[in-house]
Amino acid sequence: MKIKILHRGFNFSQDGPGNRLVYHLQGCNFFCPWCSNPESIAIDGTKMVSDGKEKLSCTEHDIDDVFEEILSGKMLMFSGGGVTFTGGEPTVQFEALKELLQKCKESGINTAIESNASHPRFLELSEIVDYMIVDLKHYDTEKHKSAIGTSNAKTIDNIKEASKVRNQLLIHIPLVGNFNSSKDDAESFSKLIKSFDNEKIDVEVLRYHEYGKDKWTQCRMEYKMTDAHVSDEEYLQFIDVLKKNGISIIKT
Amino acid sequence: MNIKELYKQDEITQKAKALFKEERSLMRLDGWLIARETAYLHSEEFKSLDKEMRAAKELEAIIERLPLSISDNAVFAGTQRDAFARSYALINPAFRVETFSGYCDPTAVYDDIEPNEDFPKERIDAVREYTKKTDYVRTLTEMYDKYEDYTAEVAFFIEQVTGHLIPDFKPVLRYGLDKIIADIEEKISAETNAKKKTNYESFNITLKSTKRLAERYAEIAESKMAQAYDERKAQLELLAKTLRKVPAKGAESLYEAIQSFMLLWQVMCLEQAPNPFAFSVGNADRIFEPYRQMSGEDRKTTAELLKHFLVFFNVADRSWAISQSVLVGGKANDGTDLTNETSYALMDAYYDMNLPQPILSAKLHKNTPKEMYREMGKFFFTPGVLTPSLFNDDALFAVLKNAGKDVEDLENYSVAGCQEPLIMGKDNGNTTNSWFNMPKILELVLNNGCSTITGKKIDTVTTETDAKKLLQNIREEFYKNADYFADKMCDAANGASIAISELPVPFLSVFMGGIETGIDMRDTKEQGTKYNGSGCLIHGLSIIADSFVAIDCFLKDYPDDAERLLNALRNNFEGEEELREYLQSCPKFGNNNVVVDREAAENASKISDMIASKKNYLGNSFRPDWSSPSTHLTYGYWVGATPDGRKAREQLGYGVDPLYGEAGSGLGFRMLSTFKLPFEKFCGGYASHFGVDPKFFTGKEYEDKGAEFGERVISPLFFNDLNEDISPFYLYVNVTTPETLRKVLADPQKYAPSGVYIMRIHGTFVNFLDLSPAIQQDIIKRLDLESTRL
Repeated sequence: MKIKILHRGFNFSQDGPGNRLVYHLQGCNFFCPWCSNPESIAIDGTKMVSDGKEKLSCTEHDIDDVFEEILSGKMLMFSGGGVTFTGGEPTVQFEALKELLQKCKESGINTAIESNASHPRFLELSEIVDYMIVDLKHYDTEKHKSAIGTSNAKTIDNIKEASKVRNQLLIHIPLVGNFNSSKDDAESFSKLIKSFDNEKIDVEVLRYHEYGKDKWTQCRMEYKMTDAHVSDEEYLQFIDVLKKNGISIIKT
Repeated sequence: MNIKELYKQDEITQKAKALFKEERSLMRLDGWLIARETAYLHSEEFKSLDKEMRAAKELEAIIERLPLSISDNAVFAGTQRDAFARSYALINPAFRVETFSGYCDPTAVYDDIEPNEDFPKERIDAVREYTKKTDYVRTLTEMYDKYEDYTAEVAFFIEQVTGHLIPDFKPVLRYGLDKIIADIEEKISAETNAKKKTNYESFNITLKSTKRLAERYAEIAESKMAQAYDERKAQLELLAKTLRKVPAKGAESLYEAIQSFMLLWQVMCLEQAPNPFAFSVGNADRIFEPYRQMSGEDRKTTAELLKHFLVFFNVADRSWAISQSVLVGGKANDGTDLTNETSYALMDAYYDMNLPQPILSAKLHKNTPKEMYREMGKFFFTPGVLTPSLFNDDALFAVLKNAGKDVEDLENYSVAGCQEPLIMGKDNGNTTNSWFNMPKILELVLNNGCSTITGKKIDTVTTETDAKKLLQNIREEFYKNADYFADKMCDAANGASIAISELPVPFLSVFMGGIETGIDMRDTKEQGTKYNGSGCLIHGLSIIADSFVAIDCFLKDYPDDAERLLNALRNNFEGEEELREYLQSCPKFGNNNVVVDREAAENASKISDMIASKKNYLGNSFRPDWSSPSTHLTYGYWVGATPDGRKAREQLGYGVDPLYGEAGSGLGFRMLSTFKLPFEKFCGGYASHFGVDPKFFTGKEYEDKGAEFGERVISPLFFNDLNEDISPFYLYVNVTTPETLRKVLADPQKYAPSGVYIMRIHGTFVNFLDLSPAIQQDIIKRLDLESTRL
């Protein structure tokens, strides 16, 4: 079985605990206009132009080779580290992802995913994922759909179900100005999260940034975001509301 | 008299800083010429003497004649400035990659001195002419002439090794020279071998001369005392009294021990003027801690005194390539940690002074206290401050044992030069004796023995003329030629060692095992030191591995285009940009790619074995040392285009590191590639550098960041539980970004107001602002942050 990989590398405790080998998989079923990896969206990869040269964003690999690579990286999975699959959206390549997670789990390698949790079979992964990160971009289905092009209904269902069966769940909220960053938004997020089995849930709020802006040009795509930066005050206010609602906030 | 009572609060530190300022303002270094001139003036008188005795007598005359002084800012007496020429060294500010000469002219140093009223041209030339006629220069010149075709474009290079050793002065600190002299007298009485008897007599002349040096300084201190008042008078009184005691007698306080050590060091360097580069103190913390305990100084006072010790190693305005080093930390043979209060005091002294010399290295092991990593944080994370290079005792003990060192000697390994591990007082490694340029040899193999740079026929033992067959058998052809060139290199290197043996070193020999053996440590017929070998610095690992794999890929994808590839290399890819891009896209070492990493490991293993199989002048092995101290630039300049896609004259990879820009998968993958190299075979040492972006470390204080650095970089690399092989054992780092360095260059007033911005380059510190543009750009380029992304 093949898998399309956008990028891979080690990093420390940003996508799960300890030092982790992180695979960014190609393809995403959402279209977030603030995406910092726009080249990851197209299922078959994106041709990027840099210095006058064109290069495809991803490479295709046999999953057995990827697994070999993961095994060879065990020496650097220190401080409770392991392997993380993120994206793009890793569940877009569901079968390959599941098989790799299964193999890692059987080999005693700590597994993590970062996902938008919208895949219909998402919950099948829960048992083979030690550390689960889900992105929750909006609490409101219509607003979610209008910004991203897809409903968040399945995401919310999956998070809810996952929170029941898991002992750990980290929700990432990308904080985007004029989209989901107001005090009212914070209250509504809190309400939604509290409707989950929220004792095991941690939340990390990630502020809007434009680090990926140039890549939109390289992908020959238009970056349409304007005025989406979140001020310190607004960010702290957002966090404050969540905390007041008893939600556990972490920063990795 | 107690040192603390004689100096006001912080006065010792203020004096150290003032002393450094004085030293840095010196624009002339004439002492070395006086030293060599003294030898010349006595040449007729000493002509009939045995060469060991002649060397001793010359040193005695030099010590008697050399002008000496004691600064008003001095807390101790002594200097090593009379042993060095002002700019003579590879890495000096005038360094240009293009002007490197593959010829080592031992009289070129005489061009270094600017004639003036005191030293007119005739005076300089007279010494130069005398030197040219010495047996040493004659023998060396013959050897260079014989191998000039090979060294001109650096298929290999050789040099006579001076400095680069770790003397054991501990017995003198403890018992004093008088005791050593008496022991040697006994040896003289008992000795029946005439040569050894003369050697012993020569040794003692140099030791007595050292006492004379102390007396001369004592006389100066006493005469200054007569004109001084109050505190300074008392300070000079202590100095004079100390100089009347040490090094003749054993030291009984930290102050005396430091003074004793400095004078011994001064004499050792004078004996090798003008080339005493890269001597190493060894573990200064272990040397001085017993004396600190005797006199009871606290960490602060110890650090203050050690600041003067550090200033001693700085010579005039030069801040490059003296390469003398000091070590801290490490473990004992039984695994006990040997970090002590003096280790931390020495680090405090280094941090506060931030001098370009001497080099600091930290020996680490699995049980190094966390405190050590925390203390190192301030070095790594303060911009423009020196950083210690790092050694892994756990791995190095195994490597050295494997190379034949006795277990009881392991804890006394230290490093001389950039990173060459040697046993203190027992090991003459001739560490920079030979330099092997693999990519040049590959170029010659692929081009019928002709240089693609100059077109000149050099040499090859390849007979294959069919392009495809040549590429198909490239490994066999390369290794056959490598062996052929290595034989020639070793013969030339041994010739250089024989030449330098014409300049015996009786003083140094005493501290390198000479008391036991009665043999000079440079003797090429009888072994004067317990351990002996000759070094070989091997260049171009990543180029060879990447090139072999690129050739394989090319033959697979373009089986009928072998001639095209060879032509493209000859023409430096002119008109073949597409082919070059193809070659560049082939797998490269440093990304955890199984095929190319295996190639690199195999190359490192085979060439290490090949070098280790070669014998030096005493029949001992050459020691593989995979390092390239700026020579990856100079040698790269003489290498044509290579099959990995590298263009002609571009630099080679540094040490065992991936070629810059080719390991884009981050630090984790780079480390995984590194782990596969056969470190157990690198008994001569190796070089590796990480340029790390400070943003990856989020701790609040420098100490916290230091702990993070230990946890995320050093521990996984050095002390990885899952690594079943011998782990990497050396690393130096620069924690900064190219943007920061460009800012420093653009506006030094703002970013380095003191005029000193210390960076690491190879084993040594440098003042970044003093470097030539080529090396400044190399440092920036090799930060290569993509390869160390965390």
